[in-house]
Amino acid sequence: MSLGNAWVVLPNPAAAAGLARGARGLADEVNAVVVGADAALPGADLTVAVPAPPVGALAEGYAASIAELLQARGAQIVLLGADVSSRLLAGLVAARLGTSALTVQGVAVEGDGLVVSRTAYAGLATTTERPAGSPAVLVVAPGVLPAQEEAGAGRVEHVDMAPAPEPLRVVEVRPKAGEPVNLAAATRVVGVGRGFADEADLRLARELAAALGAELACSRPLAEGLGWLPTERYVGVSGATIRPDLYLAVGVSGQVQHMVGVNQAKVIVAINKDKNAPVFGQADLGVVGDLYDVLPALTNALAR
Amino acid sequence: MKVVACLKAAPEAEDIGTRPDRTLDLDKAAWKIGTYDLNTIEAARVLADETGGVAVGLSVGGPALASSKLRKDALSRGLDEFVVVSDEALADLDTFQTACVLRDALAGIDGVDLVLVGAGSSDVYAQQVGNELGALLGVATLNGVNKVTPAGDHLVVERPLEDAVQVIEVGLPAVLSLTSGINTPRIPGMRDVLAAGKRPTTEVSGLSAPAPSTDRTSLLAVEQVERAHRVVDGDTADVVAQLVDYLNSVGGAR
Ligand SMILES: Cc1cc2nc3c(=O)[nH]c(=O)nc-3n(C[C@H](O)[C@H](O)[C@H](O)COP(=O)(O)OP(=O)(O)OC[C@H]3O[C@@H](n4cnc5c(N)ncnc54)[C@H](O)[C@@H]3O)c2cc1C
Repeated sequence: MSLGNAWVVLPNPAAAAGLARGARGLADEVNAVVVGADAALPGADLTVAVPAPPVGALAEGYAASIAELLQARGAQIVLLGADVSSRLLAGLVAARLGTSALTVQGVAVEGDGLVVSRTAYAGLATTTERPAGSPAVLVVAPGVLPAQEEAGAGRVEHVDMAPAPEPLRVVEVRPKAGEPVNLAAATRVVGVGRGFADEADLRLARELAAALGAELACSRPLAEGLGWLPTERYVGVSGATIRPDLYLAVGVSGQVQHMVGVNQAKVIVAINKDKNAPVFGQADLGVVGDLYDVLPALTNALAR
Repeated sequence: MKVVACLKAAPEAEDIGTRPDRTLDLDKAAWKIGTYDLNTIEAARVLADETGGVAVGLSVGGPALASSKLRKDALSRGLDEFVVVSDEALADLDTFQTACVLRDALAGIDGVDLVLVGAGSSDVYAQQVGNELGALLGVATLNGVNKVTPAGDHLVVERPLEDAVQVIEVGLPAVLSLTSGINTPRIPGMRDVLAAGKRPTTEVSGLSAPAPSTDRTSLLAVEQVERAHRVVDGDTADVVAQLVDYLNSVGGAR
């Protein structure tokens, strides 16, 4: 079953570009508003191309005009990605449409309407909800909507919009040095937490990960706050959700906010020096020990 | 500068129980100001001090906000005053409802220059209240703000995106949603706790929320995967040998 139309809104052509292919599973007609587009969005029937914002302005400044356009065209579902700019645009557009921007873990069409699922209580619970009005504005992380094959009609319509005269001016954009992270694809993941006393000690985890052929992940405090690892590497209710064959948690206490991101792993192993750490309650195998002793010995044994 | 820090009380996740039928047991969970709202209070305090201004807390919610312990806790972390909108009908609001009530409550606070919102609430973590509030107020709005520096009549903020950091001049008034890495919240000392008792809390009543954006049809605890729960302890060489055996047995080792 599907609804009449879905509209994908992108603040730049690179943001969540796969959304249109996913939207096809929800609606017969898939349209898009893409700021700075010079071509049709793959998977969309119609791409409304909005000029890139002038130097110093933000794409988010188009929110009022985009909300007006969505209303005028009778949008039923509005989909945005989960990146920082898309999230802001989602809230700005939703409020102007008189509704909440909903971050969803799942979305489907049932009967004549949408059903979404969302996390509640720090990830302990999941809700199912039916959006009350139209359009519903949804924030959708990659992987939530399975991509459909259909290419879309590929029409492009250029619409002239000017961003609202906002008291905001981008004065500098500094590229962030980054390494590509693909946690979702990893079959083995070593997750590190605050049990590491020093950034340099992460070497022990990197060596273990190399011996296991595993990706490195972390708890939120190591990424947000300590800044030892990029935010793309933290797992949990506010970070990535992964389902590897093996999750090896090292110096991670096992708070619910972290574990909901990994609790679908096939096997969970935990190394922690506190025998009462909550992580042991959620592990297949728990090793009570100091990571500074266990990790070098384990890496050694695996390398043999 | 008058800075308003928006705060949300939520039940402590560690103390929420789950029943066999997957319903939740909230009876033992104490309600606390959100973890990341402490960063918001800290940022408001620092900005107020830097500009010779005041830091005001503002919270909308249900009866949990009536707790004097919770109020004192918020005040002890650096607020000059606390405005509370607490009503049975305002418990469990969605983001748009919350933004609407915050807008109405802000209308009753004179001369607000800046509204700060945390990275996300401790229970729902929707990350949308600030964005929606900014749109309702029609003022400059940003999320993901990791640094705020006052610069005369405006602010200079840093906003890390996925692949770059934007440096943005923001005119006032504005609504900024912060990251949880923006600062380290102070831990209140005895003096702060004593001072908190003397700072004013204002109750606002008579505000109401619009209809919710969704009809909730279920709320269930996440299904747990069965785990083996084996624990090994003791001599390092010995536990590592057991660990390697285990990894081999599950195909985890290369
Ligand atoms: C709204 C909200 C959202 C959140 N979202 C997330 C999220 O998505 N992901 C996330 O991870 N967190 C999240 N958190 C934070 C979460 O609540 C925890 O604070 C965090 O996961 C704890 O990280 P940790 O386990 O690394 O640190 P800690 O809890 O400090 O645990 C460190 C552990 O290391 C052990 N240890 C110390 N030294 C050693 C040693 N030498 N050898 C072995 N073990 C040692 C200790 O026994 C301890 O168990 C969120 C919090 C909130 C409020």
